[in-house]
Amino acid sequence: MTVTVASGKGGAGKTSVSAALASWLGASCVVADCDVDAANGAIALGAMLRVSEPYFGGPGFSIDPGSCTACGNCLPACRFGALRTPDGSSVPHIIPELCERCGACLDRCSAGAIVMRETEAGRLYVSDTRLGSVLVHAELVPGEDTSGKLVRKVRVRADSLASPGSVIVVDAPPGIGCPVIASLAGSDLVVLVLEAGASGIRDALRLVALLDSMGRIPGTVAVINKTGLDPGSDGLARKVLAEAGIRVAGEIPFDPGLRSVEESGRTWADLPGPAGDRVRSALSEVKAAIDSRPGTAPGRQSEKELT
Amino acid sequence: MKPRPAAVIAVASGKGGTGKTTVAAHLALASSALHATLLVDLDVEAPDSMGYFPGAVPVGTAVPVTVAVPRLDESSCTACGHCASVCRFGAVVAIGSVVTVDAKACKGCGRCVSACPSGALSETEMETGKTSLHRRGRLEILEGRMAIGDIRSVSVIEAAKREEGRLPVVVRIRDCPPGVSCPATHAIDGADFVILVAEPTAFSLHDLDAAVRLVRGRGVPSGVVVNKAGFGDADIEGFCSDRGIPVIGRVEFNASRAASGAAGALWEDDPAFMAEMGRVLSVTLDGRAEREGETR
Repeated sequence: MTVTVASGKGGAGKTSVSAALASWLGASCVVADCDVDAANGAIALGAMLRVSEPYFGGPGFSIDPGSCTACGNCLPACRFGALRTPDGSSVPHIIPELCERCGACLDRCSAGAIVMRETEAGRLYVSDTRLGSVLVHAELVPGEDTSGKLVRKVRVRADSLASPGSVIVVDAPPGIGCPVIASLAGSDLVVLVLEAGASGIRDALRLVALLDSMGRIPGTVAVINKTGLDPGSDGLARKVLAEAGIRVAGEIPFDPGLRSVEESGRTWADLPGPAGDRVRSALSEVKAAIDSRPGTAPGRQSEKELT
Repeated sequence: MKPRPAAVIAVASGKGGTGKTTVAAHLALASSALHATLLVDLDVEAPDSMGYFPGAVPVGTAVPVTVAVPRLDESSCTACGHCASVCRFGAVVAIGSVVTVDAKACKGCGRCVSACPSGALSETEMETGKTSLHRRGRLEILEGRMAIGDIRSVSVIEAAKREEGRLPVVVRIRDCPPGVSCPATHAIDGADFVILVAEPTAFSLHDLDAAVRLVRGRGVPSGVVVNKAGFGDADIEGFCSDRGIPVIGRVEFNASRAASGAAGALWEDDPAFMAEMGRVLSVTLDGRAEREGETR
């Protein structure tokens, strides 16, 4: 059973909801932090690092200035602006952060000056959380372009570590692009965290449209976060979710106590008082939605399937 | 000091939701009082800048962004497989005597078309998103918007940047996507200055570290704006001091800002905030910030 927590907008509360859900589900669950650009699951769950492995995203290209004859044939081949000739030089170089690694330049080079090189594009980690559960997370080297691939690695590793009947909680990145699609693919249930604000609602609707284009996963539920700031936005959030046919599992008010409880090394589920009660109520609704779904057994995910 | 022609300021963050769009929109507003200014929304997966300017008037119609993807003429295809052997995205696959094109996976590099010896592959344009231009007083707003279900955000970002370069303005302010991978990299590329917006939380501090490494790696001057100051305990200023990156602005958290932020309303009538945006703008346009950072 894989549950993916996604939002469209950044900062909507995905990681906090994921951590609270992991705490609610107990030590048997596996958390997959798929926001590999900005991975905060380890902070939220107090991770103790157990495994650290290099991640290679596929070979990139560079130009060996010693072999380059400065013929310039490669320059028009690059459609991504990654091949540039620095001022005062006739030998081009490849800007790795802009290179899409297509290899078009390679085909045009008669001097054999363009070389493939595999560099470490990030790290894949497995950690034990303070809740007793396992966290799979990763860190992309800033500027690397293969975050969707690294998300797949995280998913596959989490799947291999989950025991039959346990739940994998996937914390998705913001947006609706490649790494988000990789986070959603093969999920049994989606928890949409909708920030009750104008931009939170717009971005959540783009995510709903993406889910529809992928064939919406039945049983998608929503958690409306940061309610009570703007009554108009709270009402609009409920309205658009009703129109989209998405059940609201709960509403979590904007409350500084939620931030404080995280700073003290716990999750939102541990906050005493009314705001914490709303969190726990939302989590038990999400848990009921999980329990009512015929989840797939772990071991189903393969890197190929997720591509 | 007068800004250099066409100053490009990128507003980025690492973590999402720290206030990039809020800072970018109000910087643009502050700038438009002094200079012809363009706000460019490069957060093409979740474009929200226009949300601040509901009364802005469209200038022309939205322009489709396209990528040149291969089209196969099966009658000329000899199934030699050269196309599939050069494609690094799995967009052209040859199995036995059948060649299949998956246009949605194609990045548009054109390598398969060049590799085809029988002229069976040509290129056709596939839409990946749109750019649109709006005007509100002296401010122009250019929005890039990726199509739902597409994965080629970079194509839309680059198209918006080309459009940005064509418009005759003095100041260009880019609202960048979160994260530190390819979309963020393309969005900050070509900027004269990068403003990193952070909030005083452990999450934001962690992600700011990655964003600083990205920006430093690209060699672009940068400074940090601390948003929601007082909202959390994380020591953004201490981090910036350790790294020698200047803190160029500070926006205090308060309940009324949180409420109007949720409603998506501009904070034009918040004098302390607008004054701070004016200061941030002049620091970035003067380019003083990085020099101060280096001499600290």
